Amino acid sequence: MNIDILLFPILLPLIFAVMGLFLKSKKLINYWAVLGSAAVLYCAYVLFGIKQASLVLPWLGHGIDFDLKLYGFNAAILLWVNIFTFLVVLYSTIKMETSTRIKEYYLYVFLTVMFANGSVLADNFVLFLFFWGGLLITLYMLIMLGNLNSYKTALKSLILLGLCDFCLLLGVVLLWKISGSLKISAISLEAQGLAMISFLLIMIGAIGKAGAMPFHNWIPDAAIDAPVTVMAFLPASLEKLLGIYLLTRISLDVFHFQMNSPVSIVLMTVGAITIVFAVMMALIQKDFKRLLSYHAVSQVGYMILGIGTGTPLGIVGGIFHMLNHAIYKTGLFLSSGSVELAAGTTEMKKLGGLMKSMPVTGLCFSVCALSISGVWPFNGFVSKEMIFHGSYETGYLIFTIAAWVGAIFTFASFLKAGHSIFFGAKSTEIPEVKENSWPVLVPMIILSAFCILFGVYSILPLKLFILPALSGHPEVLAELTFTHNLSLLNPIALISMGCLVIAFGLHYLGVKKGQGKAYLASEPVHNLPIIKTIYNLAENRVFDFYEQGVKLIKLLSKVIYYTVDRPIDFVYERVVTVTGRIVIFILRVLHNGRFANYLSWSLAGLMALGYVMGTLIKKAG
Amino acid sequence: MVILFIILPLIIAGLLPLLGKVSKKVLPDFLANAVFALLLGYSFNFAWNASAGKTILSQVNLAGIPLGITLRLDALSLLMLFTIALVSLGVGIFSVNYINQEKYSSKPIYYSLLLLTVAGMNGIVLSNDLFGIYVFLEIAAIASYALAAYGLGKEELEGSFKYLMLSVVATSFILLGISMIFALTGTVELNGIASVLAYSKAIKIKYLIGICSALFIMGFGLKSAIVPFHSWMPDAYSKAPATLPAMSSGIMVKAAGLYVLIRLFYNVFGITPAVQTVLMYLGVISIVVGALLALGQNNLQRLLAYSSISQIGYMVVGFAIGTPLGFIGALFHMFNHGIFKSLLFLNSGSIENATGTRELDELGGLAKKMPVTAGTNIVASLATAGVPPLNGFWSKLIIIIALVQAKFYIFALIGILASVVTLWYFLIIQRRAFFGKLNETWKDVKEAPFWMSLSSIMLALICIILGIAFPWFIRLWIEPAANVLVAGIIR
Repeated sequence: MNIDILLFPILLPLIFAVMGLFLKSKKLINYWAVLGSAAVLYCAYVLFGIKQASLVLPWLGHGIDFDLKLYGFNAAILLWVNIFTFLVVLYSTIKMETSTRIKEYYLYVFLTVMFANGSVLADNFVLFLFFWGGLLITLYMLIMLGNLNSYKTALKSLILLGLCDFCLLLGVVLLWKISGSLKISAISLEAQGLAMISFLLIMIGAIGKAGAMPFHNWIPDAAIDAPVTVMAFLPASLEKLLGIYLLTRISLDVFHFQMNSPVSIVLMTVGAITIVFAVMMALIQKDFKRLLSYHAVSQVGYMILGIGTGTPLGIVGGIFHMLNHAIYKTGLFLSSGSVELAAGTTEMKKLGGLMKSMPVTGLCFSVCALSISGVWPFNGFVSKEMIFHGSYETGYLIFTIAAWVGAIFTFASFLKAGHSIFFGAKSTEIPEVKENSWPVLVPMIILSAFCILFGVYSILPLKLFILPALSGHPEVLAELTFTHNLSLLNPIALISMGCLVIAFGLHYLGVKKGQGKAYLASEPVHNLPIIKTIYNLAENRVFDFYEQGVKLIKLLSKVIYYTVDRPIDFVYERVVTVTGRIVIFILRVLHNGRFANYLSWSLAGLMALGYVMGTLIKKAG
Repeated sequence: MVILFIILPLIIAGLLPLLGKVSKKVLPDFLANAVFALLLGYSFNFAWNASAGKTILSQVNLAGIPLGITLRLDALSLLMLFTIALVSLGVGIFSVNYINQEKYSSKPIYYSLLLLTVAGMNGIVLSNDLFGIYVFLEIAAIASYALAAYGLGKEELEGSFKYLMLSVVATSFILLGISMIFALTGTVELNGIASVLAYSKAIKIKYLIGICSALFIMGFGLKSAIVPFHSWMPDAYSKAPATLPAMSSGIMVKAAGLYVLIRLFYNVFGITPAVQTVLMYLGVISIVVGALLALGQNNLQRLLAYSSISQIGYMVVGFAIGTPLGFIGALFHMFNHGIFKSLLFLNSGSIENATGTRELDELGGLAKKMPVTAGTNIVASLATAGVPPLNGFWSKLIIIIALVQAKFYIFALIGILASVVTLWYFLIIQRRAFFGKLNETWKDVKEAPFWMSLSSIMLALICIILGIAFPWFIRLWIEPAANVLVAGIIR
C-alpha cells in the first residue's frame, strides 16, 4: 500500500487515538500517548526537512478535493504544533494522573492533533473548514473534562468560536463566489470591495481562534474550569499557532493589502484594543491561571498588530511573536500547573516563597515571565521590538503607544505574580511543597531553553521558521534587515526599556502600599477613580458580549413568549376547545336516543337529497 | 364454484342449531371457524383471475336447470369477499372464548346468526341483480338485528329495535327505488339496467334516475351510517356483544352500504357530478361530525361507533373524488378499516370480558394487567388515526393526496384536521382505559383468554405488516378492484 507521507500527520494521530481506546491500564495509556505524540513529532520533523510536497485526491467533486500542500511556512507550523503536543503530553502523564477520564483525554488530544495537522496542511478551503470545525468539537470535549462547572464554559467556547467559524464559513463562501476557486494557494486577490468583506469575515475566524477581543471571553473562564494541560495545549499554543497561521495566510497570500489601507487599520485597531484591555484585566487578577489566560488574550493583540501593520518588519515580528508566545505561554501554563500539582491551588493570596522548594519551576517561570515581558535578551524582546518598529513605521503612533502601555502592565503583572508566588515571604496557608518529577519539569526546561535560545540567537528561528512565510514575496524580503535587534541603543528600544522601569516602579509602589503583600501590588491601579468603575463593570461581565447576548436572547424569548406564543396558545386553549365543547354538547343533546328524532332526520335528509339532486341535474342539463 | 361463497355458510348456519344438540361448544366453534377459513382460502383461488381483470358471470343451476339468478365475481367483489372472510375469521376466533359468557345463551345459534350474516354479505357482493341484493341485504340485516339483541338486556333490545326500525325505513326506500328502476328499464339485472340507461338520453329519465339515486343514497347511506342517516349505529352498538359491531362496522356497513352505492353509481347508472357532489359533502360532514361526537363519549363502543362514522366518511369522500387514486385510497381504507376497527371492537370485548364494563370512567391502568389487549389496541388506534408506518396512514394519505390532486384543498385540510381529532380521542382511550392509575377494582383482572388474544394479535399483525408491505397488497388486491370502478359502466 502506498500512502503519501503527507497523510501521515493526519492518519497517525487518528490511529493512536482509536488504538488508545483499547488499552486497559493507565500506565500503558500514558506510554502509548507519549509514543504517539513522539511518532507524530518525528513525522512532522521529516516533513519539515522535505519542505515541498503536495497531494491531491478526489473528494467531493465540484472543485472540492482532498488537497494537501506542504511548503516552508506550514512545515514550520506543523513542526511546532507537534513539538507542543509532545511536551504537553509528556507533562500530562503526571498532571493528568489523577483524572478518571484519562482515556477520553488522550482521545481528544490526538483528535485535536489530527484536526490541527489537517488544517495546517489543507490547501482547499472546504477541507480546511472540515478540520477547523473538528477542532471546535474537540476543544468543547476537552474543556468538558474539567470541573463540574466546565460544561458552561465549554458551551461558551463552543458558541463564541462557533460564531467565529460561522463568519469564516461565510467569508469562504464569499471568496468562492468572488474568485471561483477553493484552492487556497491558487487565490490571490486585492482586499477591496467584496473581497474586503470576505477578508474581514475570514479574519474574524482567524483572530477568534487565536483568542483576540471580543472573542476571548471563554479563555479566562476555561483557565479556572478546564484542566491546565488543556489550557497549555489549546489556548496557549495550538490555537495561537493556527489562528495566526490562518491570519498570515490570508493577509499575505490570499489577499493583499497595502500599508495603512482600511484593512490594515482595522487589524491594527483590533490588535491595539486587545493588547490594552486584556492586559488591564490581567493586571488585577488574583489567580495565577486566570492572570495567564488574560495575557494569552493580550499577546494575541501584538501578533495581530504586527501582521496588521503591513510592513515587512511588523509582519515578521507578528509571526515571530506567535511562535515566541506559544513557547513562553505554554511554559507559563505548565509552571502554573506544576504549582497547582504541588500546592493544590493557584491563588496568589495563598501562595508565597515557593522558589526554595520548587527551584526548577521557579526558574522556568522566571525565564518565561521575563520573555513575555520583553526583557532583553529573551525571545519576547526581539519579536516585540520588531512589532514596535513596524507599527512605528506606519506613522500611527497611537498603536505603538498602545503596545508600550501593554508592555508596562505585562511586566507589572508578572512582577506581581512572581513576587507573590515564588519570591517574598513563605506562605503559611499551604503545607510543605516539593518539586515535581521529571516529566513535569522537562517540558518547562525545554521551553525555557527555547526562550533563551531564540532571544540570544534570534536569526536562527527567523531564518528557519518565519521567513518561509514570506516566500513568494521577494519585495518584502529585500527590505528586511535584522541589525536593529542587536543595537540596543535605538530610541524605540530605549523607550520600551523605559516602560519596563516604569512597570518596576509601579510594582514597588503597589507593594509598599499593600504593606508588603505582593498580591495586592496592582491595587493602586485597580482603585484609580474612573478605572475602578470600569473594572467593576468588567468583573460583572457587562462587557462580556456572550453573557449580554445570552441575556438579550432570554429577554427576546420572554417577549416572544408573551406576545406571540401566549395569544396563540389562548386561541387553542380557550377559543378552539370552548367552541369544540359547545359543538360537541349540541351534537350530544341532539342524539337523545329518541327513535322519532332519528327517523325524522333520515327523512329530512332524504328530502334534502332529492331537492339537491333535482337542482344539480337541472343545472347540468 | 362461485356459489360456494353463499351456499356454504348458509348450509352450515342451518345445520348448526341441530348439531348444537350434540355438541354445545366445540363443534360449533370448529365448524364456524373452519367455514370462515375455507372462505378466506377460497377467495385466494380467484385472486389471479381477478387481478388479470377477468369477470366471472355464473348462472346458478338447480340440478341442471338454470335459475334466473346470475352471480358476478370481479375484482371488486373479490376484494369484498376477501375482507369479509378475513374479518369474520378474526371475529369467529374471538367468539370461541367470548361467547362463553353467561349472559349469552346458546353458542350454536350465535354462530349460525354469524354465518347467516356472512352468507348475506357474500350474497350482496356477488349478486348481479338489484333484487338479489335486496334479498341478501335483508338476510344479513335480520341476522344482525338478532345479534345486536343477543344479550337480551334492556338497552340491547332498545338498540336492536332502533336498528330494526330505521333499517326497515331504509330498506323500504331501497325497495321503492328498485321498483322504480324496474318500471323504468324492465329489468333488475345490473348489466341490463346499465345497457338500457346508456341508450336513453331523455331528460325525464335523468330526473327519475336522480330520484332513485336519492333513495339509494338514503337507503344504503343508512346502512353504511353516513351522517345524517347514522343515528342507529351508536345505540345498536353500545350494548351489543362486541362481535356484532366488529362484524357490522368492520364489514357490514361496507358490503351492505358503500359497496352497493359505488357499484350502482359507477358501474350501473354512470356517475354524475350531482351524485359526486352530494357524496363528497355527505362524506366530509360524516368525517367531522363523527370525529367530534366521538370526542365526547364515555362508552367505549359508542365512541368507536362514532369513530366508524367518521372513518366511513373518508371512504365516501375517496369514492366521490372519482379518480383512480381516490378509488385506490378508499378501497384500501375500506379494507384497513375492516381490520383495525374490528380489532378495536374486539379489544373492547376483551375489556368487557375481563371487567364487565365498557365505561371509560370505570376503567384505568389496565395496560399492566392486559398487555396483549393494550398493545394491540395501541396498534389499532394509531392505525385508525393514521400514524405512520401503519396501514391506516397509507390509505388516508392516498385519499388526501387524491383530494389535493383533484383540487379539493379545503376537504383535504378537513381530512387532516379530523385525523388529528381521531388521534386525540384514541389517546383519550389509551389514557383512560389502559394507562394512568390502576383502578383498585381491577387489581385481579386477567389478560383475555387464548383465542381472544390470538385473534387480536392476528389482526394487529395485519395492521403492521400491511403498513410495511402495502405496495404489494395494493398491486394484488386493491388496484384490480379500483380498475373495475375506473372502467365505468358494465356491459
